[in-house]
Amino acid sequence: MFVLSGASLTYGRRTALEQISLTIDEGEKVALIGPSGAGKSSLMTLLQAQHPGLIALCPQEHGLVNILSVYQNIYMGGLARHGNLYNLLNLIRPWPANRSEVARLADRLGIGERLWASVDRLSGGQRQRVALGRALYRQQPVFFGDEPVSSLDPEQADELLGYVLAQHSTAVVAIHHPQLALKHFSRVIALKDGRIAGDWPTDRLALADLTSVYQPA
Amino acid sequence: MKPLIKRIFALTLLTLTALTAFAEPARADTFTFTAIPDEDESRLNERFGKVADYLSEQLGVTVKYIPVKSYPAAISAFRNDQVQLAWFGGLSGVQARHLVPGSQAIAQGYEDQFFKTYIIANTSTDLEASDEFPQGIKGRTFTFGSKGSTSGRLMPEFYIREYLGAPDEVFERVGFSGDHSRTIAQVQSGAFEVGAVNYSVYDNEVAEGKTDPAKVKVLWSTPTYPDYQWTIRGDVDARYGAGFTEKVTAALLNMTDKDLLASFPRESFVPASNADYQPIQDTGEAIGLLEE
Amino acid sequence: MSLNPAIPPTAAEATGRRLARLSGAFVLLALAALWIADIHLYRPDPWQELGRIGLGLVTPYWPDIPELALAALQTVAFALLAVAISAVLGLGLAVYFHWRVIRVLAAAIRSVHEIFWGLLLMQVWGLSATTGLLAILIPFTGIFTRVFADILSQQSPQVTDSLGRAPRLSLYAYGRIAQAWPALISYTRYRFECALRSSAILGFIGLPTLGFHLDTAFRQGDYSEAAAVLWVFLIMIGTVRFWLVPGRFWLVRGRIPRWLTLAFWLGVSVWALPASPAVSGNMLWRFISEDIWPRALLNGDLNKALSWYADVFSTDVWPALWQTLAITQVALVLTGVLTLLYYPLASKTLSGRWSAAGRFHLLLLRSVPELMLAYVFMLLFGPSALPAILALALHNGGLIAFLLANLSEQDKRVTTPDQPTGLMRVLYADIPARFPAFLALLFYRWEVMLRESAMMGVLGIATLGFYVDSAFEEIRFDKAFFLILMAALLNIGVDSLSRRLSRRAGLTAPQMG
Repeated sequence: MFVLSGASLTYGRRTALEQISLTIDEGEKVALIGPSGAGKSSLMTLLQAQHPGLIALCPQEHGLVNILSVYQNIYMGGLARHGNLYNLLNLIRPWPANRSEVARLADRLGIGERLWASVDRLSGGQRQRVALGRALYRQQPVFFGDEPVSSLDPEQADELLGYVLAQHSTAVVAIHHPQLALKHFSRVIALKDGRIAGDWPTDRLALADLTSVYQPA
Repeated sequence: MKPLIKRIFALTLLTLTALTAFAEPARADTFTFTAIPDEDESRLNERFGKVADYLSEQLGVTVKYIPVKSYPAAISAFRNDQVQLAWFGGLSGVQARHLVPGSQAIAQGYEDQFFKTYIIANTSTDLEASDEFPQGIKGRTFTFGSKGSTSGRLMPEFYIREYLGAPDEVFERVGFSGDHSRTIAQVQSGAFEVGAVNYSVYDNEVAEGKTDPAKVKVLWSTPTYPDYQWTIRGDVDARYGAGFTEKVTAALLNMTDKDLLASFPRESFVPASNADYQPIQDTGEAIGLLEE
Repeated sequence: MSLNPAIPPTAAEATGRRLARLSGAFVLLALAALWIADIHLYRPDPWQELGRIGLGLVTPYWPDIPELALAALQTVAFALLAVAISAVLGLGLAVYFHWRVIRVLAAAIRSVHEIFWGLLLMQVWGLSATTGLLAILIPFTGIFTRVFADILSQQSPQVTDSLGRAPRLSLYAYGRIAQAWPALISYTRYRFECALRSSAILGFIGLPTLGFHLDTAFRQGDYSEAAAVLWVFLIMIGTVRFWLVPGRFWLVRGRIPRWLTLAFWLGVSVWALPASPAVSGNMLWRFISEDIWPRALLNGDLNKALSWYADVFSTDVWPALWQTLAITQVALVLTGVLTLLYYPLASKTLSGRWSAAGRFHLLLLRSVPELMLAYVFMLLFGPSALPAILALALHNGGLIAFLLANLSEQDKRVTTPDQPTGLMRVLYADIPARFPAFLALLFYRWEVMLRESAMMGVLGIATLGFYVDSAFEEIRFDKAFFLILMAALLNIGVDSLSRRLSRRAGLTAPQMG
């Protein structure tokens, strides 16, 4: 589904990715690991460009609009399914159908009670759930997440990640916790200094193998 | 969040309301006139409102006054039929009647039969009053009144061209003060050394003590020419009934109330015709302000 | 030591030198322009007149209060409705600012001053609500489009990136407009103040706003009456935030929602507008198809028409164009000098409790219409470009200094203990930190000042406005239209030059208002 061969990416003089070759098939759930600055976000940007229309993205800084409510921030994920007029009217008065859909989703994510609060009133963890909610509401087959559960406590992170991955057939997620990577994904790709440092199916991997990737060189 | 939604909603709604509010129907039976007096433009609505009441009474139709700031505005209102009757200056009347075929001058002020322009100077200039055109104004700074004014622009420019040449060339600097009172103020302050002004405005300001004879004086007075007049559109008889033009003329000529006449300010109104203003037309063409 | 603590020394040196070179070039150009600009200092004897103006200012008087109140209300009505409509239109157009046709349209309609729009529209709609509203809302739509597009483009793209391929309007509404909402509102509020000034100035050409009475009283020399109108206007502008959408400063805080107050004012505005007589389409058509074209062109004589245009261009446009550019250039640099002198006085961090007086002063400077200032200076210095230059520089200097003072107060960095104090703080810490914003604002005002100096011509200074005004006075709409078109082209040229220069210098203007 995604194919890169010898791809590089530079920002000005700085090289973010160098000579990356990899293939990701439909149905694979890939965890990207590596120290910060290793090129995880850059790699996701490259991959994303191959099927922009199929991907639900959950960016690192969440990309939320502060003065809008939780409802509107989640609804945004579904903009493409409606026309301009429908969307504009929804800004003034939410449509009942979308209201119940979004409310159900928010309940599932544990933020149902804050549906009408503006997102600048939320805690970091709650904001992350809103961002996940938007990605889920995109209703796409592929999920791309950049540290999508970093602000949640371990049990919640575990539970929500499982839920989000179950809703998508394919996923590429940059993640910091080796445990989560092993538990929820079928394949782990480790990046270091813009190169692929390892690429393993998870069923043949142990926790100890992964922790070394995070060690400074 | 909620206030935001409501604010957007309220704004959109009211914008739409505002957009539709233009469609106010004009009352076709109202007879509208405008007038710019040559001095004291304050409280136009109040003063000319009384004139409107008088005309209303005499003509038997609703008469409304609308104030304007400049001759071009008066002319375009007249041309677009937003006013049917206007108190024009000599030049603006000629321009308006040219743009609206069929319109005619029906009355002028008593004083307008023999109107004059004064050339005035700041007393620091050592220029002397004389019966001859003051050649000494050459090389000075000079201000006209409004660009479209007969007494403040057309006639003085005509005589300047006659005796000296094109104003831009014979004066160090040429200004347009925009208004007779302002011409006097600017010559008095010395901002300009010499200026051209409507004689009646000047005489009145001196009489009222607004002008200081120690600072400004009259050098020369032009020969007389016809000036302000009432001009009416040619289609009013068809709209307000046969003989309407005569009725309006009669109402103006019979205006004897000193209070009403003071608004213009004129002693009385006397009959006038388009032909009376041929000299203005000729002068305008001579200096290139009017097309032939 | 480094001038700007946020930037490493080498970078600061380079940036500073580049900006200094740019400013130096502008100052040199202004010196050259001094030679072209028709500047002459006469020694009139203005003291009697100035004495009367001064006396008038302290003895304001108006005999007919309801008349004045109605004029004030109509000033608000034109401004508020025009801003409400043009902000919505501008926001809509800003979404499609990536289309060239929208960019050109916005540049074209904002390149013509409100007064010129008013003079043009008056030929068709007379002195009606339609003329006044359109004269403000047409150029304001152009301005809103550009500024809103700038604001929207500065928003984080993260949001729209995560939304997939939705229709552009939906993406913008949720992703960028909602994000930028506070900035949009704050700019709109600032624009309302500008609209009040425009609305008042339209009175000078005959609309029933405060300017109508101000102009009349000034012309008659009734300075007490002029002062009454001026004070009403200044108080109105100075207190906008207390009456337009109170809530923060009101006794009944929390009980009246802001949208309701706004709705109330919009309703009052619609009611207060003067009547608009119905205009037949014929008049509009006659104006567009006949009045604004030279007779030769209408007769189909192309050669004669071209030579007519060439004639007007060489006798009127060409000299006026240089005069307009020269006046703008000198005024721009003088604005810069005044700004740097003025803004520290209005900044609380720099001038302490004296800043309140400084602020009040700047508020006065930026609120008085430039035309009025220029008229007073004309009495003082005689007729030349000098009064226009001073009026433009003081007004714009007041405006930019106000914004810089705000920025200086928000910048906590310069108040840290390790910074120098007093004048040294101004020179070493504050002005260098403020300099990019300062230049960006000047670049932004360049185009505005050009539009204003063209308009100043109606006072008799030989800029483009002088010839436009003359053409209208002589009922030569063909000439007026051509001159306005030329003024617009000049403006568009300077606008694109200023954008290019500020982009090359890496400047982004801070929000106005």
